[in-house]
Parts: sequence; C-alpha cells; structure tokens
Amino acid sequence: MDLVSERLNVDDYDDAVELFYRNGWTDGLPVVLPTRRRVEAMLASVKRDPQESLGAVPPKGGAATLEKLAINAVMGGCLPEHFPVVIAALEALMDPAHNLNGVLQTTHMCVSLIIVNGPAARRLGFNARDGVFGNGYRANAAVGRAVRLALWNLGGAFPWDTDKSTLSHPGEYAFCIAEEEEDNPWRPLHVERGCPDGSDAVTVFACEGPHSVFCYGTPEEMLHVLADSMCALGNNNVHVLGQTLVTLNPLNAEEFARRGWSKADVRQYLWEHARRSLRDVRACGVVHEQFREMERDAGRYPRRYDVDNPTTRVPVTATPEDIHIVVAGGRSYFAAVLPGWGGFGGFAVTRRIAWSS
Amino acid sequence: MELLSPVWPAASASRPAARRPPTLRGARIALVDDNLDIPFTTHLETLLAERAGAAVRRLVKPSGTAPSPSALIDDAAGCDVAVVGIGL
Repeated sequence: MDLVSERLNVDDYDDAVELFYRNGWTDGLPVVLPTRRRVEAMLASVKRDPQESLGAVPPKGGAATLEKLAINAVMGGCLPEHFPVVIAALEALMDPAHNLNGVLQTTHMCVSLIIVNGPAARRLGFNARDGVFGNGYRANAAVGRAVRLALWNLGGAFPWDTDKSTLSHPGEYAFCIAEEEEDNPWRPLHVERGCPDGSDAVTVFACEGPHSVFCYGTPEEMLHVLADSMCALGNNNVHVLGQTLVTLNPLNAEEFARRGWSKADVRQYLWEHARRSLRDVRACGVVHEQFREMERDAGRYPRRYDVDNPTTRVPVTATPEDIHIVVAGGRSYFAAVLPGWGGFGGFAVTRRIAWSS
Repeated sequence: MELLSPVWPAASASRPAARRPPTLRGARIALVDDNLDIPFTTHLETLLAERAGAAVRRLVKPSGTAPSPSALIDDAAGCDVAVVGIGL
C-alpha cells in the first residue's frame, strides 16, 4: 500500500507515547500507536485511494486524506470496521452547512455531536441505551475520539490559540451516540432526514453537553418541562435561534406514541411553547439585544417577530424542523436538551455510511 | 518501531508583508463586511470614503462565522488595501 506520511522511528512504546505528547499530536490522553500494519488494516476496510481527500480541515487546512484519517482512527482506538463511520462523520462535518470553521473556533462551548443511525450501529456495538452520552462503549468512544483527533491534527484549532471556546465541554474528547431504533415508536433521525429505511448514516450537530430534564408523566407534563428547559435564558437559541436537540428516552417516546403523539406533534408543540418574552430576554442585558438586531439586520432573524414589542414571545428556532429529536438512553424518567450554537452554524448534516462491498 | 505521523509537515513558506500605501486618498479599499454588525460597518465605510478619500469596495460575506468565499478573496486581492475583519 502506497502511504506518504512521514515515518517515525522510535525505540519502544514509552518513547512513542511521549513523542506524541511532545509534538502536540494528542488530546491529552495516550494514543494507540499508528503502526503501518494498523493503518493499512484501517484503509483496507474501505478499498479507496489512501490519498483521496475529503477536503481541507479548518482552520489550518490540513488535507483530510483517507490515509491521515486512518492514522487518527487508529490513534483513537477504532477497529477497521469503524472506519467507514469516521469517514461519514468527516464528510458531514465538512459540509458548509455545518460551518466547521466557526464551530471549532467560536467562544461558545458547542462541540459537534455525532449521531449514528441504522443497523450498523447495533452491529458495531454502539451504545444507544443506558448511559448513552457516557463511557464504556468502544464504538462510541473510539469513533468519537478518532474524529476529534483528526480535527485536532489536521485542522489545528487548539485552545489558547485559534480555538476560542471560553469553557468548551468534555465532548471535545469524544462526543458520539447512536439512536435507539428498536425500542422506538417513531422513524429514526436519518430516515426523517431523507435516508432510506434500513440504511446506515451519521448526523452531526454542534451543541452543548446534555442538560438533564426530569421528564415523566403525561405527554403534556413531559412537554411542559421540556419546553421550559429548552428556553433557559443564556442558551444561544433563545437569543439567535439556530437549531436545538432534544433527546427523549425510549419510555418517553413510548408514552407519547401510546397517547397518539407523533414525533412531528411533539416537535410542533415544543416549537410553540419553548418561548420567552422579549421582556425576559431584554433583562439579560444589552449585548443580547445587539446580537438579535445584528441577526435581524443580516436577514437571519425572521421579521415576523416584532422585536420592538416586549410582550412578543420568541421561539428558540425559526421553524419546528430546526428542533431535532432523537430517542436514546435507558427506560427511565430523564430526557435531555442540548442547545446549539444559535444562528451562526453547527447545523445538522446527515451523510450515509458507505460500506465497501 | 515505525509509526506514521498523524499530521502534515508544517508549512514553512512565509511571505513578507506588503508595503503600506503612502496615503488612503484615492486608494481602492476592500471592506469585507462580515455580515454581523452592519450599522458599524456602514459607518466605517462612510468614514473611509468621506474622511480618507478612499474608493471603498464593500464585499459582503454570507456569514460572519465562516471563511470568505474564494471569489470574495480574489476581489479583495485586486484592491490596494483590504479591511478583512472588524472586532466586536
């Protein structure tokens, strides 16, 4: 296999691990060492030209060749069968609609979440149930970390440098879940977004970490608390719209469906009720108002909302379709909301996973 | 043990800064409007034209949080001076 990356000769494992730290090639944790044998096995799983590039990773523009992605996938702990998922995630991240350049460098804490859908999620061992945002599952951890390492080593947005995130969140290490599709009464996310039934896909969406919502009872009771959590003052959606994500657990979804609520019904209700009056928003201070005016001047804030009237109740997204709903987690009484970056970007992008025959 | 590098070699080429124009009067200035603070950008455009006597070419980015499209960069490169960012 014709590989072009620089060869690094090291004496032993300890020296190798320290070399990666010294050169700033890791996220702060030790890496699996990218030996030629491991990298070739990764590339063999996709049967594509190792020098094929998915594009220049912002901000510094390193080419996302399959060879470089494979090296970073090895470092993150991926198995060869995980590699097509990593590639699909990178393809989605590089779509201009996601505005990866902005996501990686904004002062906001958003990180691109990877959501895996389709039969492959179960086959590859992705966790979609209990503790879905947490640790303990190789597929979630390794694919999530491989993508972050690729962005780190090819894009080069580092904290204290061009990554201006004020606080960030632990998803910078790995931020990858799967949707629960078997214990789920509704169509999965990727099918809603245009992929065929039974296909495999990855969706990326830049968001805050999950915020717990004690969500139990009748549909109206669950929606009441979800809507309130979605429009907490200070999250970017309240001020500059954009997109947001709601994660319902399978028991929540089952209860909604049992009472005749479709996912579209839930989405519509949340869009109509997750709102704040401009009086509330204005109490946050003048800067919030300036951002809203900037968005309106630029044509990104719908003019149908009278932003001069203090009783106007503004939604958290411009349309109901900008509220993404995923079913994941254990069968319990907790849901989660994950506000986005606002109107600046980080928008959801879905890409099919291409398997080599 | 032989490993493969996860990064590309650092680009070493650096170019000297362009010479400053002796005056802005009559200079062609590209003002890259990042589509964030439009009133402020308009105010700056007016100052550059009326006070400095420059010929201002305002180039509007689709988004203030994404890079400029290459056509816009080419446009700006054709001017004598470019204002490529405005801090908020």
